[in-house]
Amino acid sequence: MEHKDIDHLFRHHSGKMVSVLTRIFGLAHLDIIEDAVQDTFLKASVSWRKQQPDYPEAWLTKAAKNRVLDIFRTLKTQQKHIGQLSTGTDAIAINELFLDKEIEDAQLRMIFTACHPKLDPRDRISFSLKTVSGFSTKEIASALLTKDETIKKRLMRARKSIQKADLKFSIPQGKALKERLETVMEVLYLIFNEGFHSNKKEQLIREDLCGEAMRLCQLLLKHETTRQPKVYALFALMCFHSARLASKTNINNEVLDLKHQDRTQWHFPLVQLGNTMMNKAVDTEEFSSYHYEAAIAAEHLKAHSFEDTDWDKILQWYLSLYELQPMPSHVLTMAVICLQNNDYKSAESYFKKLDPDTLEQRKYLYYGAKADYYKATNNLKSALEHIGKAINYVNNDLEKQYLLKKQAAWLKET
Amino acid sequence: MKNFMMIFIGADYADLGLSPEELQNRMGKWFAWGHKMEQAGILRGGEALTPQIRRIVGENRTVTDLTSAEVKEIVGGYYTVEAKDFDAVQDIARDFPDYDLGGTVEIREIMVFDK
Repeated sequence: MEHKDIDHLFRHHSGKMVSVLTRIFGLAHLDIIEDAVQDTFLKASVSWRKQQPDYPEAWLTKAAKNRVLDIFRTLKTQQKHIGQLSTGTDAIAINELFLDKEIEDAQLRMIFTACHPKLDPRDRISFSLKTVSGFSTKEIASALLTKDETIKKRLMRARKSIQKADLKFSIPQGKALKERLETVMEVLYLIFNEGFHSNKKEQLIREDLCGEAMRLCQLLLKHETTRQPKVYALFALMCFHSARLASKTNINNEVLDLKHQDRTQWHFPLVQLGNTMMNKAVDTEEFSSYHYEAAIAAEHLKAHSFEDTDWDKILQWYLSLYELQPMPSHVLTMAVICLQNNDYKSAESYFKKLDPDTLEQRKYLYYGAKADYYKATNNLKSALEHIGKAINYVNNDLEKQYLLKKQAAWLKET
Repeated sequence: MKNFMMIFIGADYADLGLSPEELQNRMGKWFAWGHKMEQAGILRGGEALTPQIRRIVGENRTVTDLTSAEVKEIVGGYYTVEAKDFDAVQDIARDFPDYDLGGTVEIREIMVFDK
């Protein structure tokens, strides 16, 4: 029989089964449920060695159904209170929950549980990756560059919060849905960024994280109540960024800025998908920050070369974004855009608005950009002074090298 | 040609805390290995064993039930293959997927009696 290689089948199915079984038995029994699901995969990994079933997914779903009875038995021996599986109609009702549509529904409930405001924000990501995405503690630790122990603690704490608040395994409705959807999107955005922005991680892990965030975002889009313009915008943003994921680093895993990326490596099917999503996202009066971020990402992708970039347009999007999120880092970005555009007067006015200390660890970016500004306006003395400060504040070695190189070149001009 | 048994000894997967993703990857490797032997026409049989152990020892036939967690190493399964000699089987056993988990392959020749 031919080898049916379905990417991440086990991982994804693990999330589905944990969700469905939680819908049946409740969040209180998550431990038992996770053990039962894990056991299914252990069995599958051995019994499939010789021959894989023709329909692996159906096989796994059937195995999960069989687990329902096992779990009933376990709970009974532990004397835990749980409804009896007494009549045939109960069995039919449970059977229904394993239909595709109901599985998706259960997964959404799990996402909303994982992103509940009662959970510590740091615990939300770990708990989502574990229960919704089927990552192991070790996999989460390496994805988030944290210790196993830390993740274990976060997962424990998340469970405790869930028990303590006695959370219902449900999708919120009405006004509550609106607020909770915000946190869900925030968590998905963070998971995506964990993958997209870290150069310390292996490419595979980064792709996994971005892929997971996109898969969960798609789940939101499949469901009527969560299929909203800003979710489309978030998905579009992820598409646009993902299209550049492979070109973000060179073979030495060094980060390349937009100027030095090989644009032929961009993945255009994802750009197209992003555009389609964007068209649906703009069907609203009210734009979210995800709309503007997606628009900015799209603008960068449109340019055939770095020099072709339409900086005026990008600046417009940043101005709109800044209105929604008045963050100093956006002001700095706008200053840098003006420098790209050779509009030194506007750049200067943005610099004036900024107090470098508000940028915290990114303070060096301010001094670096300001050094560029002085250099461009032929004030070499101030330029050197500022690049010195930038080098002083920078933490990342690669970026430090980059700044030192620049400084050396400028010193030659004195 | 002779028949050999490759016996797989090591920790049980359940005791290693493997994630679903890792389990799937392992399974893929086992599957590819089995497929390769099948294609070469050398695979004669094989089974995977569950981790429960009932051990009977001594004249008193003392019975103990053990779990894989109590016995660090456990026979997890075997394959029988047809090959020229030990070296040929050693070559086949290169693709055993679980060396990195501390797994061991023991090669034994199946005895043939004179007729």
